[in-house]
Amino acid sequence: MSVWDDLVGQEQVVEQLVAAARSARVVLGESGRSGDSRNSGAEEQSGSSGMTHAWLFTGPPGSGMATAARAFAASLQCTSPDLELGGIPGCGFCEGCHTALIGSHADVESVRTDVLSIGVKETRELVRSASMSPAGGRWQVIILEDSDRLTEGAANVLLKAIEEPAPRTVWLLCAPSVEDALPTIRSRCRLLVLRTPPVAAVADVLVRRDGIEPEMAAFAARAAQGHIGRARRLALDAGARERRAEVLKLPLRVADLGACLAGAQSLVDAAAADAKQVAEEVDTRETEELRAALGAAAGVGGRMPRGTAGAMKELEDRQKRRATRTQRDSLDRALIDLSSFYRDVLAVQFGAAGELSNEEMRQAVERVAGESRPEATLRRIEAVLACRTALERNVAPLLAVEAMAVALRAG
Amino acid sequence: MKFRVERDVLAEAVAWAARSLPARPPVPVLAGLLLAADEGKLSLSGFDYEVSARVETEADVEEPGTVLVSGRLLADISRSLPNRPVEISTDGVRVIVVCGSSRFTLPTLPVDEYPALPQMPTVSGTVPGEAFAAAVAQVATAAGRDDTLPVLTGVRVEIEGDRVTLAATDRYRFAVRDLMWKPEQEGLSAVALVPAKTLLDTAKSLSAGDVVSIALAGSGKGEGLIGFEGAGRRTTTRLLEGEFPKFRALFPTEFNSVATVPTPAFVEAVKRVSLVAERNTPVRLSFEQGVLTLEAGSGDDAQATERVEADLEGDDISIAFNPAYLLDGLAAIDAAVAQLSFTTSTKPALLSGKHAPDAEADEAYKYLIMPVRLSG
Repeated sequence: MSVWDDLVGQEQVVEQLVAAARSARVVLGESGRSGDSRNSGAEEQSGSSGMTHAWLFTGPPGSGMATAARAFAASLQCTSPDLELGGIPGCGFCEGCHTALIGSHADVESVRTDVLSIGVKETRELVRSASMSPAGGRWQVIILEDSDRLTEGAANVLLKAIEEPAPRTVWLLCAPSVEDALPTIRSRCRLLVLRTPPVAAVADVLVRRDGIEPEMAAFAARAAQGHIGRARRLALDAGARERRAEVLKLPLRVADLGACLAGAQSLVDAAAADAKQVAEEVDTRETEELRAALGAAAGVGGRMPRGTAGAMKELEDRQKRRATRTQRDSLDRALIDLSSFYRDVLAVQFGAAGELSNEEMRQAVERVAGESRPEATLRRIEAVLACRTALERNVAPLLAVEAMAVALRAG
Repeated sequence: MKFRVERDVLAEAVAWAARSLPARPPVPVLAGLLLAADEGKLSLSGFDYEVSARVETEADVEEPGTVLVSGRLLADISRSLPNRPVEISTDGVRVIVVCGSSRFTLPTLPVDEYPALPQMPTVSGTVPGEAFAAAVAQVATAAGRDDTLPVLTGVRVEIEGDRVTLAATDRYRFAVRDLMWKPEQEGLSAVALVPAKTLLDTAKSLSAGDVVSIALAGSGKGEGLIGFEGAGRRTTTRLLEGEFPKFRALFPTEFNSVATVPTPAFVEAVKRVSLVAERNTPVRLSFEQGVLTLEAGSGDDAQATERVEADLEGDDISIAFNPAYLLDGLAAIDAAVAQLSFTTSTKPALLSGKHAPDAEADEAYKYLIMPVRLSG
């Protein structure tokens, strides 16, 4: 299992990153061909061009930007003995790869946020750590997973550090698209574009990695529209599938105003339930892990050693903030599902040959398609997208979804 | 794993190693303390990604092994154990601590998730522990605290033969201290930029030892680490990267006037007068033959003046300083008499210490301080 296996359908990106990891080794003087000094000097010049100190990973949500960044970080820390024999950096087994992937490597710092923005305070600390030399003598990697959430002030604090970090510091920034990064940040990074992974590739990885039945994998991959994490969840969790089906019933229900409002309510509820379930799974495990690490007596309500309350409190706060964001994300996800339904409707109306995202609901899709005209469908898609924008601007979720449901009816 | 160790030895070792554990671990395993027992030796290590601490003690090892347990819990337990030999052993995924009639069972953390501790660089020389701690404290006081200027949050360590120079600045003052040390090899030359706060903590925690070994990779391609070792305890610290300001030329060598003031009286006076100096306003010093007048506050605000006996050689001078920076410097010179040397009232002044009014100024420690320009 190499670290690149989890990157689905991104062969080009993987190729580029492997090349970079190789030249990174040359920079460290580990090429294994350093016998002739003149030769290795020339090699260093030609080889080091594949590596640079700042990268911007972009791609649609779910395409694996953070996964790619972590895999790259692991390959930079890889110490596999196979490398001397020409193996691919990023074996996935050596201590470097392993600790980088699970997030405990000393030189891989991963910054992610559970709230809506990353502020100046957090980035000031990053500026300091960026100027440190690596503890392990290889590379210090700073992964900024939500660089689209940097506030403008925070991004400006980082400019200098990203432009000229310490010689062995590498920045890996992730953002959905280049436009999400400030132009001044963008121009300081090498750009890597991940594509939406093809449905077949997502299905394949679900079968291979998670041991899911091919039929279910195909359904989940199609329904998730290239979002790998979402596909995995749909395939593994019957509840998530049910809630999705519930969401997709909305277009059939919007016959009258009462039904619109009821439909909107159930959509918001489903998102909340989804978020709650995700939160419960992650929170309990996290809390237990931290308690054990801080040395709490086993079991709920066990005594905590002195001076650890702060750390626990911080975790709780973070979990609370994350719950808010997860709920918002789930609702957004539901809206994307909804727009995929209307996309299918449009496809049927135009008689397009492509595969439907919601093949299993062909009947419903065809019914809606028969009842309306393409113009109306487009208007409805607009309404769904407008609802997403409204949510982004902090409109009360129920209100926004109700407005959308009413618009779906009127169209 | 199974070993026996004296309670005091264990408690002291655990307390020291647990010191460097992060209060808010970024990943849970970092809250752990790594215990490794092998061939009559027990080692405990902690790591917070920046500083690693490792302490080794004698132990009666029955069965070698490695285990990761919560550092805080172990520190709490070992501190409160009765004074009897302690036996620590593993039982599956648990650790059993037995001491006298008390018995603790602790959960372990996954060792394979624990990051590799940085390698200690090769030792390059030794200094007396106490002298080193004092020297570091003198310099670290001038280091900057602004994280967005990381270079200035460090203490520059320059090694040239048998001389070590420590230097730090926050752009408003500059402290430099020279001390002698015993290098392992002749003609050694190396530089490093060590985070000031860590260096201060480390030097203080190793000051009890007779000698502290400093391990620093030679100039050129460094390992990015500096290591300190004393009395079985060793720590490594990641270095800061970046260009430290060139400082030797900053220090003036020719002066128009030189004043000497008894330090305790000077400190007291500055403290009193600066009570009325609001944030960011200076204290003004006027030196004349035999007397120094301190003033603070202006206009309609509260004002204070005080006169202190002082000797002046050369021209009379009026100059103003940030009182906090002046007090830091007066505390750092650690001498009975303070000597201030001036060129003009807009150029930095040099503060150094003397153990008696007629003695030569101490050349080893110099504190350069920028004056505040007075309007009008």
